[in-house]
Formats: sequence, structure tokens, C-alpha cells
Amino acid sequence: MPFCETAMTSSEPERVPDRRLAIAVFAVSFCAAAAIGFVTGQFRSPSVDQPIAFNHRKHVIDNQLGCSTCHTFYETETFSGLPASDICSTCHAEPLGKSAGEAKLVKMLKEQQPLVWKSLFQEPLHVFFSHRRHVVKAGIRCERCHGNFALTTSPPRRVRRLKMADCIGCHEERNVSVDCTTCHR
Amino acid sequence: MARWGMVIDLDRCTACQACVVACQVENNIPVAGQSDSDRGRGISWIRLAPFNEGEHGTRPGLRLVPIPCMHCEKPPCTKVCPVKATSIGKEGIVAQVYARCIGCRYCTTACPYTVRRFNWKLPEWPDPMGEGLSPDVSVRPRGVVEKCSFCHHRLQNARDKAAIEGRALRDGDYMPACVESCPAEAMFFGDLDDPRSVVTRLEAGPRAFRLLEELGTKPKVIYLSKGESGADV
Repeated sequence: MPFCETAMTSSEPERVPDRRLAIAVFAVSFCAAAAIGFVTGQFRSPSVDQPIAFNHRKHVIDNQLGCSTCHTFYETETFSGLPASDICSTCHAEPLGKSAGEAKLVKMLKEQQPLVWKSLFQEPLHVFFSHRRHVVKAGIRCERCHGNFALTTSPPRRVRRLKMADCIGCHEERNVSVDCTTCHR
Repeated sequence: MARWGMVIDLDRCTACQACVVACQVENNIPVAGQSDSDRGRGISWIRLAPFNEGEHGTRPGLRLVPIPCMHCEKPPCTKVCPVKATSIGKEGIVAQVYARCIGCRYCTTACPYTVRRFNWKLPEWPDPMGEGLSPDVSVRPRGVVEKCSFCHHRLQNARDKAAIEGRALRDGDYMPACVESCPAEAMFFGDLDDPRSVVTRLEAGPRAFRLLEELGTKPKVIYLSKGESGADV
């Protein structure tokens, strides 16, 4: 009996620092992994490089162009569309200003290089979304989902992923169907 | 609000399987191949199930019955889903949200009609079929359950069209690929709540019956057959 007691009391103090050490090692490695993740951009959405640093403010606010001038399909189709070079060349066949971006655009248009804009707003592939339905029928303004894009002077660097909570919130607010089949395909 | 349902006339059906092919193409269903088919891992949203008919020696026969998802009014599958990946909508379509499915397969076990299929591997198509997939239907990842959706992507498009034209969705606005493809015109689709629709008229006829009616699942796929009764309709 006394042998057992001494054995237990002698082993007790050793076990406690062991557990603390394990927790500490785990915490440090977790923080390190998280830090590496942040630095290398694991948690960020993918970055996007546009062919030209398009200035929305210049076009929409200063020159009073509507969204549909360049995004030609959102009133008639499910998608909104990004402008092809012929839309740009209606105004920019010759330089209108002195910006470096415009000079690059004019050069690209003259050399007949294709303008490959990258989509900044992406919904998952299992979602059905109709721009026409939302803009024409429901009368929702572009800003509701896209934010104040008209005020930006250069394109955002990262893709913005839209979340289901945004859709559901708006649907509930407007008393629109929230059945799975309404949006999921 | 519409309550979508299907009527399949077994007296007209020739078991040609055009509906099966149309469904595979419409819904981006992968080609299983020999080894997976042998293991029972092939996927089809509508299948032809063989039923022995008549007595051996006297009037032997085999009837092939097309079986899509029944879109039950009281679906047993939705009750067992632990993550609400499957649910019945207001228009009566039993939906499957692949992004939410965890692949536990309780629903495949619960379904008395065994129409639910599990994706055992990433979908594959022989070249060049993979390039011709429908953009209206998502390609299912590995590890999720899938089933007939009554081609609800067609419903989404029809609903969209009706909304733009400023009218309510009505019977005849859309039909699934299987119904559209049936060369024998044995399949009908429409609104079971609309008293003037073809499906409502056929549902009320003497030849109408449902599969495993006694279970109380209330399927919205209705079969027509003269059967033993000899009813003349």
C-alpha cells in the first residue's frame, strides 16, 4: 500500500507539465500555420489581373454612362456580360485623354488584341441566377449585390464570392421563394 | 402555385428507353463503364424496372416500367437527411442540394422506389462527350447522392420567362426531358392542381395507380395501365 501511494505521488507532478507542453506546442504550431496561411494568401480569394485598370468612376460618374453601355446583357439574359473590344472602340478608336491605361487600350485595339476581362463576382456552379429576373422584374439595383462599383477608380484585386446568406436575406425580406429548387440546380 | 406531376401510360410505353437516354444527356449523368456497372454503381435518374407478368406456362410476360423519382407528397428520404440536403419544395419537387449532401446515404436506404444514386467517383465522360455538358445542370462531385429533379432547371428557365412576360407560371410551361423525348407519347407532365390539365384528367381515370401506394408516400408519378381489370379508357 505505501509503495503504491509513493508511486502515485511521484508520478503526478511530472504529468502536468507534459500536458501543458503539448497544449503549448499545439497552440504555437496552429498559430504558425495560420500565419503562414495569411502570408501566402491561402485564406484570400484568388487575385485577378485585368488587362487594363478600368476606371468605373470616370465612365459612370464623370461621363454619365449607364451600366448597360458596356455590360450589355443584364436586362435581357441571365448573365450581364463583359465588354468586347468593339464596344470600347466606339469611343476609344483614338485617345480621348492622357491616361496610361487608355494609351494601352488604344494600342491593344489598334493591334486587334482581344480584351479578356476577368469576372470579379462569381457564384458557385450549382447556383442558377438570372440578371434579367433580378434587374428587370424585381427592379433591384446593381449596387445591391455589386456594391458601389461606380465610385471605384481602379478594379478590385480579388474575386468576390457571393454567399448564400446574402441571397436568402434579400429573398426573405422581399417575401420571395426560398425553396432550394428556386436557385440550386 | 403549381403542383407538378407526371403520368406514364404503360399501355403506350414500348420500353424503348428514349427517356433514359434523354435524361442522361439532359442532366450530365456520367457514363459508368463496364466495371462500375457490374458493381451496381452506374447512375441513372430514370430506369426501366422489369416486372414479371402473368403465370409461368400460361401467359408469360415481362413488363418494363420506367421509374423516375416519384416526388412523393410525403417523401421518406427528406425525413432521414441529417443535413437538410434534400427537401420538398412548395411546388412539390423533392430537391437535392449537392453542395450540402454529406453522402451518408440514409436517403438511398429510405427511398422505397430506390431511385437515389450515390456518386462513387468523380464523373467521367468518354471524349468528346465531356465537352458537351449542359451548363444548366451542375456536375455532381464524388461522394454525394443524386436523383431525378423533374428537370427543375427547366422549371427555373420557364419561371424566369413567365416572370419577364408578366404572368403566372401555368400548366404546360415546362416539361422534363424524358417526357419531351417519349416517341410513343406515353408520358405526360403538368400541374396536378390545375383541373383543366391533362395530368389531372388522366389521374382521375380508372386506369390510374401509383407504385407502392399502400406506403402512404403519395407519389406524384402516376401510372396508367389497363392491367387485369380490362377497363377501357
